[in-house]
Amino acid sequence: MAQSSPPNLRAEEPSWDLVLRRNSIERLKQERFPLDVVEELPELIARGYEAVPEEDIVRLYWWGIAHDKPKVGTFMVRLKVPGGLLTPAQLRALGAISLRYGRNYGELTTRQSIQLHWVRMEKLPEVLDAVAAAGLTTVGAEGDTVRNITSCPVNGINRDELFDVRPVIEAAARFFWGNRAYSNLPRKHKFTISACPDQCNAPEIHDIALVGVVQDGTPGFAVRVGGGLSATPRISRDLGVFVPVEEAVPVLQAITDVWQHHLRYRMSRAKARIKFLVDDYGPDGVRALVEERLGRRLADGAAPAPRGASDHLGIHPQKQDGLVYVGFPVPSGRLTGAQMQALADVVETVGGDIRFTREQNFIVGNVPEDRLPWLLEQVAALGFPHDRHKLFGTSTACTSHEFCNYSVSETKGKLDEIVEVLADRFGPAVEGLTVYVDGCPHACAHHWVGAIGLQGTTVPTPTGKIEAYDVSLRGGLGPGAAIGRPLLRRVPTHEVTEVLIRLVGAWLEERERREDDDYTFRAFCDERSDEELQRIALEAPAAEEPRDVAVVRIPGPLLEFTGGIDHLEVQPGTVRDVLAVVAQRFPKLVANLLTEEGEVAPAFLVYLNDDDIRGLGGLDAPLRAGDELSVLMAMSGG
Amino acid sequence: MQQHRIVFDDLEIGEIAVELDDQEPQTVIAWALETFGDRVAVVTALQADGMAVLDMAYRIRPDVRVITVDTGRLPQATYDYLAAVQERYKEARWEILHPDAVEVEAMTRRHGPDLFYASVPLRLVCCHIRKVRPLVRALEGLDAWFTGLRRDQWASRAAIRKVELDHDHGGIVKVNPLADWTEDEVWDYLREHNVPYNPLYDQGYTSIGCDPCTRPIQPGEDHRAGRWWWELNAPKECGIHCPIETGGFEHEAEAILKEAAELHR
Repeated sequence: MAQSSPPNLRAEEPSWDLVLRRNSIERLKQERFPLDVVEELPELIARGYEAVPEEDIVRLYWWGIAHDKPKVGTFMVRLKVPGGLLTPAQLRALGAISLRYGRNYGELTTRQSIQLHWVRMEKLPEVLDAVAAAGLTTVGAEGDTVRNITSCPVNGINRDELFDVRPVIEAAARFFWGNRAYSNLPRKHKFTISACPDQCNAPEIHDIALVGVVQDGTPGFAVRVGGGLSATPRISRDLGVFVPVEEAVPVLQAITDVWQHHLRYRMSRAKARIKFLVDDYGPDGVRALVEERLGRRLADGAAPAPRGASDHLGIHPQKQDGLVYVGFPVPSGRLTGAQMQALADVVETVGGDIRFTREQNFIVGNVPEDRLPWLLEQVAALGFPHDRHKLFGTSTACTSHEFCNYSVSETKGKLDEIVEVLADRFGPAVEGLTVYVDGCPHACAHHWVGAIGLQGTTVPTPTGKIEAYDVSLRGGLGPGAAIGRPLLRRVPTHEVTEVLIRLVGAWLEERERREDDDYTFRAFCDERSDEELQRIALEAPAAEEPRDVAVVRIPGPLLEFTGGIDHLEVQPGTVRDVLAVVAQRFPKLVANLLTEEGEVAPAFLVYLNDDDIRGLGGLDAPLRAGDELSVLMAMSGG
Repeated sequence: MQQHRIVFDDLEIGEIAVELDDQEPQTVIAWALETFGDRVAVVTALQADGMAVLDMAYRIRPDVRVITVDTGRLPQATYDYLAAVQERYKEARWEILHPDAVEVEAMTRRHGPDLFYASVPLRLVCCHIRKVRPLVRALEGLDAWFTGLRRDQWASRAAIRKVELDHDHGGIVKVNPLADWTEDEVWDYLREHNVPYNPLYDQGYTSIGCDPCTRPIQPGEDHRAGRWWWELNAPKECGIHCPIETGGFEHEAEAILKEAAELHR
């Protein structure tokens, strides 16, 4: 039934009354303007975390602040870094904040920004002050605002850029951020502005993308609107206009106003993004609304196709003679506060700057050629060798279920595992592949547009649910941009890496057979039917043994020792062997279960399938593949 | 005897959600009943929202499946009420779930029957064994389930869709027909259709769960006073409303139990 009924645009525009009745967040925003929550912070802190209503926690989003998980009083703080560009002093300040308030941890984001975790509520004002003192802000990093403005990370130094868009980004940030007229939008709103001919900044998935062009000698932008991900992904559409550089901000304003003053898009947060306006009106209809709002026609234009693909990793000469920039892969985008500080020192020493990328890496810009060897050595010593396998750089993962209340899987750890195995097994052949891993459909790590996209889910097993992933294929950005399709569903987490090895292996075999180095993984997937890809992915080669594991079940009262994990797969062996393996993972569990002499404590019974092991040879009883070992509490005291 | 499963992916259900977003609850329920047949059930603790969903579904399909959990510690008033509801909706296919007796016995032997007063992790263990695990086992046999979730119950989850995939429970479809209703609309519906509601509401309860863990609140008192009022440093999920339906309960429980396990080490 998807998209079967055309939108009834003649239907009466809903009234504010109706909007406020239907949408509790619209009500909240009207009653208590979210940006003002920062003034109330001291009072909220004085009342104590327990007493803060959830509505005020939601208002804190507008200052880039959100609950960590579990919700017991620590917060994520997300920065805004326009265009991803940062001075060494700013990075050093962030490192200091991370060390002092955020357990020495930080994550680079797909919006070319950085977020910290573990910040206690009472420290939030100090953290916001420190951020401001560094010349940065968190305002509008979340909430119904204009989010961080992304771009090509090598603005101003890229030999290939059509022109330098930094002044436009600065002007847009200055106008929109913290502007009350643009801080109660129907929902989040994402801009990207760039003149990178490779369009490395993903204009396809932005609410509004200004795509640099030079038309008749005038630098300006084509405009794409209505891109976005989540469970209703859309590739942005070309408005068919040309906007000279100096009109960029007024046009961004007009497009945003068309959407934000159209109450239809405030009725429900599930249909609030500008992509639904574009769905309803089409690009021509949206253009007409924008022109009406501006009171004039826009010049005709067309969004250019991206020239190629560029991740800006590795060493590149700049447009400035004698200077280079270097892109460093950052596994899963994680770095510590101490690394931030040390990196800032190194970069400052050579007179360079820092640039965060969409794929959760950093670039050091403006490095004098003669300082390059020293810089590479220093940064490598910090844990970031520039020649690390590129797959670490072209892969992304969301913040994962460790912190995020939406995520159902441990994405960053999984990505590290996958990338290590693929890089190790296939070497340089898999450089340039994109593996994007998300813990939920919101797609913060852009899994819908990865060559390989993974999204966390769960799969029930006879002994309880386990983590799993849906695997999407045929997605991509740049030339041939497309939303991937989840072709493999609910692949248990321990099988995911093997599945990817089979797919990638089959692609590389075909590439070799064709003797065509330009034959991409995407092309391989596009040429095959769903069924064929599923067969390749899921059918183990004949030589491979079937999985031969046994299961250990852990009862409810002991879940406190296992972090809630109620079963475990183990290699067969004697019960004694198996418990030794379990002890490595859950020492406290086994310490309770066994006495100091290594016998089963009287409080417990251990069953192998349906039988007490005391009748099967005790701890020497053999556990075979498919067997189930259950720990029960003895009913006869103990 | 595995029946053919009716499976959607996120992209399919995402577009259907957009189509259904401005539809009435009954339209959403009819879509789900038609799509999933016997593979969908109303899963409810018989609170007000769930009763509205149950009543609407019953009017469309009287033999709708209804699943509820008897934790073993419900207030007597709830047991009496349950019997009355079953009588009222007697054509529905009722499934009353119980916690695993072995698990409950092991838990109470080790920690006593009232372990929930001892610590937050132990309370979570109790919730897990008495309520969550039976429900999760039931969901494993379904392709979709109805909830009574409403957007205005949880400011932090105000973007729930009327249909979405439930990745906490094997990626089955979660149907939230009342997503854009207010509490008043729910009560208006109950009154208008003469739907029975738990009599404890009339005694000042705002959330009705197990007998030892819920109590009525006084006028002006925070809703949180009605559940687990003795706890300090409990997870702050959605006020008192932290039902399994959002997935939030399980997320919190997993994180807290993990932390507790680490502290033990």
